[in-house]
Amino acid sequence: MDLNEELSYKIAFSIGPLQVPQYVVITWGIMAFLVIFSILMTRNLKLVPGKRQVVIEGLVSFLYKLYYDILGEKGKRYIPYLGSVCIFLAVADGVGLLGISPPTRNLNVTVALAILAILLVQIGGIQTKGVGGWLRGFGHPVPVIAPMNILDLFTRPLSLSLRLFGNVLGGVIIMALLDSAIPIGVPLIGSAYFDIFDGLLQAYVFTFLTSLYLQEAIE
Amino acid sequence: MSGLIALGAAIAVFTGIGAGVGIGIATGKASESIARQPEASGSITRVLILGCALAEATAIYGLLVGLMIVIRAL
Repeated sequence: MDLNEELSYKIAFSIGPLQVPQYVVITWGIMAFLVIFSILMTRNLKLVPGKRQVVIEGLVSFLYKLYYDILGEKGKRYIPYLGSVCIFLAVADGVGLLGISPPTRNLNVTVALAILAILLVQIGGIQTKGVGGWLRGFGHPVPVIAPMNILDLFTRPLSLSLRLFGNVLGGVIIMALLDSAIPIGVPLIGSAYFDIFDGLLQAYVFTFLTSLYLQEAIE
Repeated sequence: MSGLIALGAAIAVFTGIGAGVGIGIATGKASESIARQPEASGSITRVLILGCALAEATAIYGLLVGLMIVIRAL
């Protein structure tokens, strides 16, 4: 049945004993695309902007304002990371439009991103408040719920990664079913919903939740 | 035996009820507050979208459990 193949991944090539799966190669492709796009768009920046610069400035300031409202002045230095993850996830979910299988349909990719996010939050907390302050932060609102706060260390990356993984995998499976049932017309609507709307929404929710956790840790 | 597996997978998808009810109530409250104060509709929409994505997550967990049950059985 289809489903078993949807959950597993293919190995693209092997370097000696190291097997490189297909989704890693797709991620490299997305990284290369984003780097080249950024370099091309930020050449010859002028004080009075031309058309290309206005578009890029609009996108960057939109993302900046989105996270600045939550993080404030103290958290300003985390905004580049959040913006980069948002753009990467938006592109990674949207490559389904081009017929490439989105890399976030594998649990490995989303768990990696979620672990990065939680590491960032904890290390940011330690850098701002010191190790003693970070440990005391676990008893923060009321000391009785300290076990819940410690459990949050594990459930937050779990929910972040599973939310993204479930949404993208569910979209891929439903698209496969739609394609086999009605090949013309309906997959267009399905793809517009899953790849564009759902992809952007999940990218926004992932980074928004990370910024909320950050703001709570930096206080 | 496979009847029980199918039953288990079907029960796992019942989490969709919670998500549907929750998002419905949230959207109702959001439209009420936009009707009461149309200038705040930008931030109300943002909060609504965020709340819907978070509520959807629990329904997605149910879907994942259903998928796992069916695929393990194969």
